[in-house]
Amino acid sequence: MPIEVKVLYFGRLRDVVGRAEESAQIPADSSLAQLFVHLSSRHPGISDFRASLVASRNQEFAAWSTPLQSGDEIAFLPPVSGG
Amino acid sequence: MNIISKEDKIALTRHAIEPAPLVEQLRMPGDGAVVTFDGCVRDHSHGRRTLYLEYEAYESMALAKMTEIAAEMHRKFSVDGVAIVHRLGRLEIGETSVFIAVSSPHRPAAFEACRYAIDTLKKTVPIWKKEYFEDGAVWAEGELPPVPAETSAPKTAS
Repeated sequence: MPIEVKVLYFGRLRDVVGRAEESAQIPADSSLAQLFVHLSSRHPGISDFRASLVASRNQEFAAWSTPLQSGDEIAFLPPVSGG
Repeated sequence: MNIISKEDKIALTRHAIEPAPLVEQLRMPGDGAVVTFDGCVRDHSHGRRTLYLEYEAYESMALAKMTEIAAEMHRKFSVDGVAIVHRLGRLEIGETSVFIAVSSPHRPAAFEACRYAIDTLKKTVPIWKKEYFEDGAVWAEGELPPVPAETSAPKTAS
């Protein structure tokens, strides 16, 4: 059964996608990496940024291999530049 | 679990940061030092004249990461109180973008903890800065936060 996750975009990635937030349906046990591939088919521009992004799951940095669960809040974060 | 002091102040704000009340709030009778860091908007970047900046954050995660930094400061250094406040939205030249204050009985711990806080914030807190120039705008280069190591076998959810 597919699961649904919330995806947030920030900074240059939001500029590319054209929105700050959306939901995505993916097969159960998909990883963050698989979610990114799924989203890349919807927003082809984002694949160029893959090497310069880190992923987060429920407000924690997460490895790309991390499996997702329904209701997760996911973000793909460009290099941070606060301060 | 993040242990922070009840006097600690961790915040994001869209208004001008006022350092004086933050410093007063931290100062305890047992303190001999308050060290502060005032990060402000510079009028140039890589040889170009900056007009203004815009900051945005993944707010819930940024607050969580700032709270982690404060907890780590209490763990690593002999500090009493910690304030970490970051501003969001449009900032003009000279305005404070981030303010950090640390109180401690003795100055070495306060200096070290303050340095630790700003260095760690710049690497791990999801905040982004867009620089506006006369001829356009760019997202600042920035740093990629460290992430947990990849595992080949799927982990069980925590």
